[in-house]
Amino acid sequence: MENLFEINNLNVDFKTPRGRVHALRDVSFKAPRGKIIGVVGESGSGKSTVIWAMTQLLARNGVVEGGEILFNGKNLLEFSERELQAFRGEEASIVFQDPMTSQIPVRSYSQQMVDIAYRNKGKTKADKIKRAIDMMRRVGIPDPEQRIVQYPHQFSGGMRQRAGIAMALLMNPLLLIGDELTTALDVTMEAQIIHLLRELQQEIKATVMIVSHNLGLIAELCDRVVVMYAGEVIEQGDVRQIFNNAQHPYTQALLECDPARVLERSRFLPTIPGDLPDLHVWPTGCIYAPRCKHATRRCEQERPTSFDIDPGHEACCHLLDPDHDSNDEAASVERLQSKTSGYDETATVEIQYEGDPLLKVEHLQVRFRTMGALKAKLKGIADPFVDAVLDVSLRLWRGETLGLVGESGSGKTTLGRAILGLVRVHQGSVVFDGKVLTDLPEAALRNLRQNMAMMFQDPVGSLSPRQTVRSLITEPFDLHRKGTYSTEDEARRLCDMVNLPHNFLSRYPHELSGGQARRVGVARALALEPSMIIADEPTAGLDVSIQGEVLNLMRDLQGRQGLAYLIITHNLPVVRHICDRLAIMYLGRIVEQGEGEAIFNNPAHPYTEALVHGVPQPDPDKRRELVSIEGEVPSLINRPAGCEFHPRCKYVQGRCRTERPDERQLSDGRVVQCHYPLIN
Amino acid sequence: MSEGKEKLMLFLSNGLGMFGLLLVILFFVSAIFAPVFATHDPFLLDIPQRMSGPTADHWLGTDQLGRDTYSRVLYGGRVALKVAAIGVSISLFVGLMLGMLAGFGPRWLDNLLLMLFDTIRSFPTIVLALAAVSLLGPSLELILTIVIVTSIPGYARLARTSTMALKGTEFIVAEQSLGAHPMKIIWRHIMPNVIGPLLILAAMDVPVVVTVEAGLSFLGLGVQPPTSSWGTILNEGYLLIRDTPWPIIAGGIPLVLTTLGFTFLGEALRDVFDPRLRKGR
Repeated sequence: MENLFEINNLNVDFKTPRGRVHALRDVSFKAPRGKIIGVVGESGSGKSTVIWAMTQLLARNGVVEGGEILFNGKNLLEFSERELQAFRGEEASIVFQDPMTSQIPVRSYSQQMVDIAYRNKGKTKADKIKRAIDMMRRVGIPDPEQRIVQYPHQFSGGMRQRAGIAMALLMNPLLLIGDELTTALDVTMEAQIIHLLRELQQEIKATVMIVSHNLGLIAELCDRVVVMYAGEVIEQGDVRQIFNNAQHPYTQALLECDPARVLERSRFLPTIPGDLPDLHVWPTGCIYAPRCKHATRRCEQERPTSFDIDPGHEACCHLLDPDHDSNDEAASVERLQSKTSGYDETATVEIQYEGDPLLKVEHLQVRFRTMGALKAKLKGIADPFVDAVLDVSLRLWRGETLGLVGESGSGKTTLGRAILGLVRVHQGSVVFDGKVLTDLPEAALRNLRQNMAMMFQDPVGSLSPRQTVRSLITEPFDLHRKGTYSTEDEARRLCDMVNLPHNFLSRYPHELSGGQARRVGVARALALEPSMIIADEPTAGLDVSIQGEVLNLMRDLQGRQGLAYLIITHNLPVVRHICDRLAIMYLGRIVEQGEGEAIFNNPAHPYTEALVHGVPQPDPDKRRELVSIEGEVPSLINRPAGCEFHPRCKYVQGRCRTERPDERQLSDGRVVQCHYPLIN
Repeated sequence: MSEGKEKLMLFLSNGLGMFGLLLVILFFVSAIFAPVFATHDPFLLDIPQRMSGPTADHWLGTDQLGRDTYSRVLYGGRVALKVAAIGVSISLFVGLMLGMLAGFGPRWLDNLLLMLFDTIRSFPTIVLALAAVSLLGPSLELILTIVIVTSIPGYARLARTSTMALKGTEFIVAEQSLGAHPMKIIWRHIMPNVIGPLLILAAMDVPVVVTVEAGLSFLGLGVQPPTSSWGTILNEGYLLIRDTPWPIIAGGIPLVLTTLGFTFLGEALRDVFDPRLRKGR
């Protein structure tokens, strides 16, 4: 048999109190043996449901309504409980997104791995541990003999995910499933994991199924790609067929939206207008028709069947039907198109570089206590603090967008919060609009907060859960301009500003999608027309098609109100399109700062270079051969001597190990902390 | 709101919970409308009929003075309701406020309040009550005070832990970044999110409070004769147990039913509102 597994016409429903949700409809695809197959889709596409159906671990309200899953020729859906245990224990294994919740915190890795090998009845415990150590070594964990007795919390994020892969491969499974396995990792770690998986797959010849929303990961890793939308497979084919010759309008739009594929720097990013359809009703026509640019009346009435484009490449779309009349009257689409094209794409913002900057941060230092004063005395530790932000100086002018980029743990969020006075500053000063914030008492600062707003990472989690959208977006008025406004008028004005329908005003945060909640966050931040907004990962947790929408909105409002943005992110492709200047942070310091496009094209600091090259390219023809950066971000408690980046730097020289580089200015005005910058 | 409706449906389909609700309603109605349902004046002596079993005139019999036990049970419910309603609501309110203050306020305040809570919790309720009564003399007000003081720490601790869990969440930091006053944050954004589990705890606490009152009255330290309370009815019945079992039965059954009612109701509420107990992924 050439296919390890085959899914044929799989239908899965979820029973909810509001009726059945048709989560998977006629899903069919095949996984050729020994290949890496990628299932890609946005949230709500049903890609995870496929995994749960395959392993028969659907939530209790999930029902398989029809279809078959053939694994090695046998239908998994007819397996007895005993056969399923054998299947899950030996033949298939899963690596999850978050190793912290999928690994048992109270058992050491050796215990967990012996547990996993419970089906090897003939082997002794010593054999099992020996095999576990071999596996840990194979996935690149240093000193596996010592580390295997440690617990998950003693491993760093990247190492934990490596251990997860080791555990998954322990039983030599025929099928390895990765569910968003790099989503929780930084770009540099992601690149290492991609590299590792590719190597391992060559070695062990297992079939790998990668489920992800990350087009870059799919392009770098997979041989075959299955594109899902709203519970249906809409296109599948070889990775090059999909990425270079996409046929389904959704696949095309999805690829267009990915900021990493937009090569020209563009202020406005493409988006897919509209929302996911309601899956309570069985769709009559093409599931994508309501959002499709090319939809005709036939698309709304008749479900398309699959058409072969090339051998192995098929897509479900009426446009591929030779008999299709594409001039047939297009229906409801126009409304959608007009909604998003309202932005003035040519509007440019005048950045006023003369005079004083809006925000001036000088030698800012933020430290956190690691232990109580008494305990530190007893242990003889003179300085029981870690420096999360160290000697940071920044300028932000009116109308400008500054991107603050770094891996997790680089202190970028702390810096953002310190600027707003939400964390205590140890040293240095923050001057905003001529006022020294770091000297102000809390009450005075509270009053100033109407001029500077913050957008938080989690779009839904940053909204108070028991408040309606109406009271959330008018809250800034309630706090700062009590009695001088009309709640209803302001709520409507803000809704219009962020393109939120008025009937959303009485909803609660958990009833909003990520994109809608993000728009509420933008409305709250902009309610009092501040002059500066600090946006912490404004696109985190949003689908590619929504990302652009939020960024375009922010850009549009900047043009109209002359806002200054400080955007904190680890997402380099996005930052590139929206930022005028960039500041790269590593271990609480800014290692490179300067004009955005220049930094992107010619990084001066080796760390910047590693970050820029670390982004997986959503193009299978541009696969990287080498990992751009080794190792992980060191702990803040043990800062390396000399240049703090030297243990990971590939250009390291003797001087870097002993002497900390000072800031130096390059010919194009960039400021870099490096002894040997890559350009002059 | 569809989610509210969903939860209501979940609650309505919980058999034990509905039974509990029924008992709780019965408790409230019988206590509030005691004068309507009572067949006799609870203080009226009917010496010829003393210590009778259930008859057409006296549905649950009479005590040693010939007072109608059925009517006395209804009026006794009023004492229980008073102690439960006032005691639980005041301690819930004070506990909630102190707990949120401890959880959200500065570290020293937290430590101070915690020490206070633990000090109070280290006294056994009944022993504390005995000591207080022997110093100040028995009264309903004293019982109420003791009930309130001893149950505040339970609510406060729960409110404190929930507040601390919320303190670091993004939406609270977001409120701070908007410039909201800490008191406003506590009142508008923390309270609605911590009060749910507290209300469930309160529902389950009602029977405890009722039995504390009954227990103290049984010991002669609570409500004083001739006022009737379930505790005093039990106490008097205890002295007559060789002559008639009816006062004990009549005083015990409402106590058992009230306890069951509030416990079932509390558990059903917890099942509906605590998402951790919900089935499925």
